[in-house]
Amino acid sequence: MLNVAIFLPLLTGFTVLALPRSRANLVRQVALAGGILTLIVAIILWVGFDPKGDALQWRTTVPWIPAIGASYDVAVTGLSLALIVLTAVLLTVVMLFVLPQRDRPHAHAFLFMLLATGLIGVFTAQDLLLFYLFFEVGLVPMYFIIGIWGGERRWYAALKFFLYTRAGSLAMLLGFLGLYLAMEPHSFSLPAIIAAKPLAQSPPLASSLVFFALLIGFGVKLPIVPLHNWLPDAHVEAPTEGSVVLAGLQLKMGGYGLIAVLLPALPDTVARFGWLLVALALLSLLYGALAALAQSDMKRLVAYTSVNHMAYVILGMAVAAMTGSITARQLALDGAAVQMVSHGLLTGGMFLMVGMLQHRTGTREIDRFGGLIGRAPAFAGLFGLLAFGSLGLPGLSGFIAEFQVIGATLQLSVWVAAITVLGLILATAVYLRLMGVLMGGATPEADKIAPLTPYEILPAGAVAVLSLLIGIFPAALIAIFVGAIRLGGP
Amino acid sequence: MSADCMDLWAVVPEMIIAGLALVLVPVAGWVWGRWRRIPVFVSLAGLLAAAALTAPMLITTPQEAFCGTYAVDPFRAFYQLVIELGAAITILVLSSHFHNTQQEPHAPVAVLFATAGGMGLAAATDLALIVLFLQMASFPSYVLVALVRSDKRAQEAALKYFIYGAAALAVMAYGLTFLFGLTGSLNLRAIGAALAGADAAWVALALGLVLIGYGFEMTMVPFHLWAPDAFQGASAPVSGFVSVVPKIAAFGGLLRLLLEAMPNGISAWPLVLAIMAAISMTFGNLVALRQSSLKRLLAYSSIAQAGYVLMAVAVAERSPGALRAVGYYLLAYLFMNLAGFAVVAQIERTTGRDDFEAVRGLARHAPWSTAALTLALLSLAGIPPLAGFAGKVFLLTAAIDGGFTWLAVIAAINMAVALYYYALVIADMYFRESGPRQAVAHHKGYNWAVGLCTMGTVILGIVPGLGTRLAEIGASLLQ
Repeated sequence: MLNVAIFLPLLTGFTVLALPRSRANLVRQVALAGGILTLIVAIILWVGFDPKGDALQWRTTVPWIPAIGASYDVAVTGLSLALIVLTAVLLTVVMLFVLPQRDRPHAHAFLFMLLATGLIGVFTAQDLLLFYLFFEVGLVPMYFIIGIWGGERRWYAALKFFLYTRAGSLAMLLGFLGLYLAMEPHSFSLPAIIAAKPLAQSPPLASSLVFFALLIGFGVKLPIVPLHNWLPDAHVEAPTEGSVVLAGLQLKMGGYGLIAVLLPALPDTVARFGWLLVALALLSLLYGALAALAQSDMKRLVAYTSVNHMAYVILGMAVAAMTGSITARQLALDGAAVQMVSHGLLTGGMFLMVGMLQHRTGTREIDRFGGLIGRAPAFAGLFGLLAFGSLGLPGLSGFIAEFQVIGATLQLSVWVAAITVLGLILATAVYLRLMGVLMGGATPEADKIAPLTPYEILPAGAVAVLSLLIGIFPAALIAIFVGAIRLGGP
Repeated sequence: MSADCMDLWAVVPEMIIAGLALVLVPVAGWVWGRWRRIPVFVSLAGLLAAAALTAPMLITTPQEAFCGTYAVDPFRAFYQLVIELGAAITILVLSSHFHNTQQEPHAPVAVLFATAGGMGLAAATDLALIVLFLQMASFPSYVLVALVRSDKRAQEAALKYFIYGAAALAVMAYGLTFLFGLTGSLNLRAIGAALAGADAAWVALALGLVLIGYGFEMTMVPFHLWAPDAFQGASAPVSGFVSVVPKIAAFGGLLRLLLEAMPNGISAWPLVLAIMAAISMTFGNLVALRQSSLKRLLAYSSIAQAGYVLMAVAVAERSPGALRAVGYYLLAYLFMNLAGFAVVAQIERTTGRDDFEAVRGLARHAPWSTAALTLALLSLAGIPPLAGFAGKVFLLTAAIDGGFTWLAVIAAINMAVALYYYALVIADMYFRESGPRQAVAHHKGYNWAVGLCTMGTVILGIVPGLGTRLAEIGASLLQ
C-alpha cells in the first residue's frame, strides 16, 4: 500500500502525458483524480497504522544496488505518515485550484505528480541513498514549475532555487557517504545507522564534518537563516500552486531530514552543537518576523513568515537533543512535528488566497487592498482563519505547535524561551498588520474583487478546516508521533 | 618468437573490426547513390559480431596472449564492449547526419579504425603496442574531424587536434622509453616488478611524460587545449565520438598501465592524479560557465567529467570499489554524452548552428528531442534517478573510501557549480519563446541513437545494479 502511495502520483503523471494534446479538461480531471486517489491511499495508511506498534510500519525492502548495499527500503513512522497525508491533501488542493487553468496542462500535471512522488518518497525512505534520490526528484520539477509558469523574474528565481538547493543536497550527499563509510559493513540503511550510531565513537572531526554537511543540506531547505536567500525569490516568482507546494511541502523535506535523519543518527553531535542550533533558530525566528514586517508584497511577506515558523522545528530539535528530560524531549519533537503539518496547511492556504487576490487585481501590494470584509466576506473569513492560525491563536493549530516547543524550551533556558516569545509577538504583529490593512478601509482595488468561486473556496476551506481540526483535536495528530519520538530517543 | 605466441583467438574481435575497415576503404571510395549506405550496415554488423565475440571474455580467467604482450581478461572485455557500443551509436548518428552526402560511406570506416585502436589500447600490455594503438585510435579521429572538406573551421580544428595529438603522443613515447631504460623490459608486469628498486626521480619523470599522452586523450587539464576547438569545429556526431571512445580507451589504458606497471602507488601517482582530477573538474566547470556554443559547452563539460572519473582512477589501488566506479561511470557517460551530442547533431542539421539561440524555445517544436537533451544534461549534472547520479555516488564513495575526502568535497562543489550551465541550456529550451522555426531533423539513425542513449541513461539510473554488476566483472585484470 505504501508503494502505491509513492508511485500513484507518478503513474498519474505518465497517464496524463499519454493523453491527447487537445484534451486539456480531461488532463486536469485525471490529475485531480490522481490527487484524490493518493489522498485515499494516504488515509488508508493512516488508519492501518498502529501507534503502539513498531516504529516502522508498512515496510517494503528490495535490494536496489547490491554492489554498494543500497536497497529500496520504505516504511512509515508517525511523522512521515502525517507528512504523507499533508502531501496528499495539498496535492489535491493544488489540482483542484488549477482545474480551470489551461496553460500547458500536460507538463504542469506531470511535474506536480513527479514532485509528489519525490516528496512521499523522501518521507518514507529508510535508505539514505534512496532518500537522496527522492529528495532531488522533488527538486527538479520545481525548477521547471517556477521557470515555466512563474512571474516576471522567473528565470532568475528558478536558477537560484535550483543552485541553492542543489548545493545543499550535495553537502547532504557527502554527509550520507560519511555515514555510509563509517558503518561496518558499509550500509545506507537508516534504521541500521540509527541503531549503530557509527560516528559516536569516531574522532570529533569526522562526526562534526558529517553533522555540518547534513545541517547545510537540510538547512538550505528548511531554511535556516544564513542559507535562506533563495526562499523569498522562489516563493514570490513561483506560480500560486508552486508556492503552495514549495512552502507547504518542500520546506518539510528539510524539517523531516533534521528530525528523522540528523537527530537520531548523530544525537551526541547534535547535542554538542546544541547551542549553535539554538542560536541559529533564534536568529531565523527574529529575522523571519522582522523581514516579514518590512514587506509590502504579500507573497514575500508570507514567504518570510515561513522562515520564522520553520525556526521552531530546528529549535525543537536542538532542545530535544540537549535536554535530559524525556517529557521535554517528547514535547519539543511533538511541537516541531505539529508545526510542520500546521505550517504546511496554513501557509499553503495563505499562498493560495494571496494568489486569488493577485488573480483578480494583478497586484500583491498590501496597501492597494482594503475593505475586504465587506466586499468578499468568504475570502476575509477564510483568510482570517489562516492568519490567526499562523499567529498562534489558541484553539488553532499554530498555537499547539509553538506552545509545545516553547514549553520544552523553558526546561532548557528561560532566556531562550523569552526570546522565542519575542519572535512570536513579532510574528503576531506581522499578521495583525496584514489583517488590519486588508480588512480596514476600502480602496479602488477592492471594488474589482469578485466573490470566490467554488474552485477557490473548496481548497482554501479544506486547509483552513483541517488546521482548525488540529487545533481542536491535537491529540489525534500527536498520538501517531510516538514512533517519531522513539526514533529520536537516546 | 615461437609459434606458441600466435594466439590469434585473442584478437578475433579486433581483427574483425580492423579487417572490415580495410575492406571498406576501397568500397567507400566506389559506392554511389543509395549504395553509400553499405559501409554503415556492414560496420554495424561487424561491431555486433565483434561485441558477440568480446562478451565471452568477460568470464575468462585473466591470462596473457602473444608472449605476454596482450591481455585476455574481463577488464579488457568490459572496456572493449563499451568502446564497441560507443562506435555503434556514433555510426547510427553519422548515418543520419551525413545521409546522402559524400561523407556518408567514409565516416564509418574512420570510426572502425579508431575503434580498433581503442580496443587494442584496452588490452595491450606492452609499451610498443601501447604507442601503436594510441596512434591508431587518434589518427582516424583527426580524419573524422576533417571529414567535411568544405568546412574551414573543421579543417582548422583537425589541424589543431593533429598537432597537439602528435606532440603529446611523441612526448609520451619518450616517457615510455624511460620505463624501458629503467627496467630493460617492454612488458608492463615485468616493469612493475623491476620498478620498485629504480631511481624515484626517473620514475616520476616517466610518469609525468606518460600522463601527457593519456591526458591528451582523456582531455585532462592542462592537456585539454585542443578539445574545445576540435569539438566545436567538428560536426556534432564526430565531436560525440571523440569525446567518448578515445577517452574511454585512454582510461582503460591508463588504468592498466598504473595497476600493472606502477603498483603500490609508486612515485605517488594516486596523489598526482587526485590533484589533476581536482584541476580538471574545476577548470572545466568554470570555463563551461561562460560558453555560448553547445558543442564548446559539452567540450568543457567533458573535461570536467574526465576530472570526476580521474578521482576514482586515483584511488584505483586503495578503494575496492574504484574500478567498478570508473567502469560504471564511463558506461553512463557514454550514454548521456552521446545522447547530448546526438540531439545537438539534430539541431545542427536543420539550423547549421549550435549556439543557445538555436535551442531557444525548442520544447514547443521538438518536445521529444528536447526532453532527451534535458535528460542527458541532468544526468551529466548528476540528478537522480539518472545514470550520472549513481555514477557520481560511486565515484565520490570511492574517493572518500580511498582517503581523498578533500577531493570528494571539491568534486561535490564542482557538481553544484556545473548545474548552472546545464540548467541555462534547459532554461533556454523550456522557459523562453522563439519566433517561427523549424523543428529538429528527424531520421532513423538519430532517433535510434537518441532513443538508445536515453533508455540507457534512465534504465542505468533506476537499476544501477545492471551496470555495476557488469563493471564489477570488468574490474578484474591481469596482474
